[in-house]
Amino acid sequence: MGLLSSSATFVRYAVEGELPPNFLDFAAERIAANAYRDIDDNYEERSVGWVSVLNMFDSSFEYASFAAGDHIVLTLRVDERTVSPKILKKFTMKEEARLLKERQIPKLSRTQKIEIKESVKLMLMKKAVPSPTTYDLCWNLSEGTLLFFSTSQKAQTELEDFFKKTFDLSLRLQIPYLTAEHLLKPEYHDALSRLTPDILI
Amino acid sequence: MDLVDLIVEKRFLGQEFLTWLWYKSDERGGTVFLPGTGDTQLVFEKHMLLEYGEGEAFEKIICQGLQAELNEARTGLRMGKKLEQARIHIIQGEYEWHMTLKASLLEFRSVKPPKTMAGSEEGATAEAVEGRLLDRIGMLETATRTIDELFRVFLEIRTSPAAWQEELDRIRKWIRKPE
Repeated sequence: MGLLSSSATFVRYAVEGELPPNFLDFAAERIAANAYRDIDDNYEERSVGWVSVLNMFDSSFEYASFAAGDHIVLTLRVDERTVSPKILKKFTMKEEARLLKERQIPKLSRTQKIEIKESVKLMLMKKAVPSPTTYDLCWNLSEGTLLFFSTSQKAQTELEDFFKKTFDLSLRLQIPYLTAEHLLKPEYHDALSRLTPDILI
Repeated sequence: MDLVDLIVEKRFLGQEFLTWLWYKSDERGGTVFLPGTGDTQLVFEKHMLLEYGEGEAFEKIICQGLQAELNEARTGLRMGKKLEQARIHIIQGEYEWHMTLKASLLEFRSVKPPKTMAGSEEGATAEAVEGRLLDRIGMLETATRTIDELFRVFLEIRTSPAAWQEELDRIRKWIRKPE
């Protein structure tokens, strides 16, 4: 459901703040600094970064540039190692039972239980394969608008934070009221703010 | 007002717009007038979701079917429900878009833009890739601009008490109109 799929789902943002001079150079530097770093061969829990919209394995934009006309097109890639609560519980209980038997004690203290859970989680996390998720975006530089191809609130929060970290610019989700403020001339704004729901029957 | 409060308090704005748009399209047999563009074909089809009330009193109905079978949705309007989601088909000249609009957040879902390039034209050179991206972006932005223009027409009526009262009378007559 991304930018290039046959059926696209997206929300709109307004980009707030002034673009720095020589913006494309600035953007290139910031995108490179915040490009996606692979975690397949280490034990990091999570990695977030920019990749090409055409290929999620291209984080150096060799295949296609992030600039297209007056737009910047990027994919936000989030890879995460997760352990399901069910599996964590199973292996924690197993380890607790092993320790009780090994030490010949009737029960474990609360601190010991927390430590066991933490070390089991770490052990399972190292075995887990990072699961990738990608979200496309298309930023219209002249209009200061951005299409983000996900309606998930979690993804939207991830984008807002990472976009701010990368470009030092804020994003504001364009719900109908805020879109209305952009569309209407200022003389209508007071009337807009006073509108209340009407009954249509 | 922060964003969460705005979403809750102004939720009605997108729903009233979508309901108004249905009325506008139905009034002229599936055609709406866009200032600067002229007549555009805009048909409500297949899928509609209507909502009413808040909290425990919240109700929603989902209606599916071809255009002629949206009577259930019309009945929903008569019960005071407002349109929250609808599948729309827009035709401008030789281009056609299908999209689902979610009213309260103005989300664009399952947007199918017109296919303008044949498979054989889709080369792999940097220029061809950029061309393909720009073509897709242009088609999606045309869809959002069309909806924005319609939203602007609605807002100019909605924020003028006299114009809205007249429009409201016509909408109410349309809702009560027998099938």
